[in-house]
Amino acid sequence: MKVTWRKSLMISLLTLIPVFGWSQTEIVLWDFLSGGDGVRWHQIVDGFNASQSQYKISGTTLTWGDPFYAKVHVAVVAGETPDVMTYHLSHFPAGMKAGDLRPFSAAELASVGLKVADFNPALTKVSLDISKSFGKAGVLYGVPLDTHTSVLYYNKDLLAKAGLLGKDGTPTGINGIANFTAALKKLKALGVTPLAWSSSGDSATVWRLFSTLYYQQGGVFAAGGKLKLDQLDTYGKTALTQMASWASDGLIPQNIDYGSAIALFSSGQAGFMINGNWETTTMVDLEKAGKLPFKYGVSAIPQFYGNQATWADSHELAIPANAKKPISPEKLKGVLTFIKYVEQHADIWAGGGHLPAYLPVLNGPVLKQMSPINQYAVQAAKDVTLDPVNPAFGVGDPVYGYVDNFITPAIYGQGAVADGIKQFKDALVSGQ
Amino acid sequence: MSPGKKRKRYPGWKMALVFLAPFTVVYLLFLIYPTIQVLYLSFTNADIAGIGEFTGVQNYVKLLFKDPVFWRALGNTVYFILLTVVPNTLVGLLLAFLLEKMRWFKGLAQVFFFLPYILPVSVVTQIWLWVLNTNYGVYNFFLGNKINWFQTPNVGMPAVAFITIWWTVGFNVLLFIAGLKSIPREYYEAAAIDGADRGFTVFWRITWPLLWPVTSLVLLLQLIAQWQIFNQIYLLTSGGPFNSTTVVLHYMYVEAFQKNHGGYASTISIALFVIILITSLIQLRLLRLRGNT
Repeated sequence: MKVTWRKSLMISLLTLIPVFGWSQTEIVLWDFLSGGDGVRWHQIVDGFNASQSQYKISGTTLTWGDPFYAKVHVAVVAGETPDVMTYHLSHFPAGMKAGDLRPFSAAELASVGLKVADFNPALTKVSLDISKSFGKAGVLYGVPLDTHTSVLYYNKDLLAKAGLLGKDGTPTGINGIANFTAALKKLKALGVTPLAWSSSGDSATVWRLFSTLYYQQGGVFAAGGKLKLDQLDTYGKTALTQMASWASDGLIPQNIDYGSAIALFSSGQAGFMINGNWETTTMVDLEKAGKLPFKYGVSAIPQFYGNQATWADSHELAIPANAKKPISPEKLKGVLTFIKYVEQHADIWAGGGHLPAYLPVLNGPVLKQMSPINQYAVQAAKDVTLDPVNPAFGVGDPVYGYVDNFITPAIYGQGAVADGIKQFKDALVSGQ
Repeated sequence: MSPGKKRKRYPGWKMALVFLAPFTVVYLLFLIYPTIQVLYLSFTNADIAGIGEFTGVQNYVKLLFKDPVFWRALGNTVYFILLTVVPNTLVGLLLAFLLEKMRWFKGLAQVFFFLPYILPVSVVTQIWLWVLNTNYGVYNFFLGNKINWFQTPNVGMPAVAFITIWWTVGFNVLLFIAGLKSIPREYYEAAAIDGADRGFTVFWRITWPLLWPVTSLVLLLQLIAQWQIFNQIYLLTSGGPFNSTTVVLHYMYVEAFQKNHGGYASTISIALFVIILITSLIQLRLLRLRGNT
């Protein structure tokens, strides 16, 4: 009897060993990355899980935009947050205002061998500016993963026919708003869509081009965290009038949605496409499968006005500010280890056309060989202009609704440009 | 009084409580408690998840006197109701009549008219976004025009109303068919003997009055449902262009989830609650009067 009892005790203890002895710390991750980005993101996460046995990342992908940020905020208030999450730099002002972000101390970053100087200064500067506008000067609230921006896709075959392709195989004579418009007209004469660009149910794409045209004239939307909208009456009107005349001249399509714009370009029916760098993967995949009926190229957005500033945003990794259940030192260690791994493997992420924020990868040898990102990376990195430092701007923030409501209809002549600008301004002011 | 006697007076009351408890708990926890919370939040400056600070009637003052967009949204909602409630009822009635007169394929036709109703709203809006697509839509293709149905002021709201009727009329047809079936045949036979033809007189003197209880029910259900218009607007127009399709609940959503104004969004909800309550009471009273005469 006694022997059997001992045996059974030993067996039961042995079965418990895996639970206590080799238990992993589970790190809960929330992200909003779907499509091609989602595939590459999971590749990195799976790579991390396979590379070590101490931590296990279990990720959940949620809907991009305001559903994601609303959910994060509710989680913070309820004290039921993930341990780490993806976040847009453009949403930092709203996130800081809502108190959703936990800062990273220099010591924490140093514990895994990271420091602020390792990252693209264009991004960390904006991040620290936002912190400063909330009275937290010098404190970093997120670790940047990438810069993503608008780029110009072009159909080399059509551009050559229209006499717009230089000897080096890049577009020529498209700098300056008048030249660019003339180029679009030449393409129209060929009977194709000059510029594939979406606006239907797509306030993000409209905002990106409108703000780019505005920034390139020297316009700002905010200063010192406060709205500054007087230039909307000058530069804003110029930008919107230009977009409206492209529409009325048939140089951009009438209200097509995101997918249609890509279909127009990738089927060879459009000369140019302005879209995010993340769509380079669509082109790469189609070309690889032999389904792209033309040669394409990608460049940074041209200089239309006084400078070449271009809308951009940054994916960051951040820790939610869970006041009820602050992150444990063990989990924090895991999160930091994970972040370090992600940064070091940012070349996988760059496969999505994003510019890595981690300088050793951005300036590394892998990226220089990577096409088509090497066609625009250098210039695009210089042109990066982040959304204004104000809670009204950024992904998931009110400006997207205002663009849909007041800017897009003005482009297509469903209302006057002056009305569009005025109501856009009024909405921004009343929404503060 | 002995305990035994009491048990006899209320036999099984403990068991009744046990059966009632699950519903009561769920009802109190998920309906009554949140309603009270919304009422409380409407007096605060809370964001979408916090408690906020008590600000008295500030939100209500803003709503009533300082917020033109709310009044615009209210006007648009009333416009949407005008475009849907009565038309939806009339179309439902007409289709029910036609279906009743059909000799062949009656069941099949009923299925076709009811089919849209079982579709989720996102599928319905996706179908119509395709059909009415500015560039590639079937409708614009055949008409050869480039109307942008959901982004043109004056067109957006009627387009949304049309889609709403297409989507929901099947349920009204069902109610009307049931109503028509419950009218005794004898009345029509008696009318025929008395010399009334099967035309308008019969409809006006027999069918319409006897169908009135169903009609008033349809009208009331429609009114309550259409005050709460949100999904179609959110999915088709986002309230644009130039606020021409912003309705009360969409405005509430924008305030709560885009601008993070939970307190003010609660105030809008309470306002809508009061409006629906009052209009329902008025309508009920009116319809009853009508039904009695």
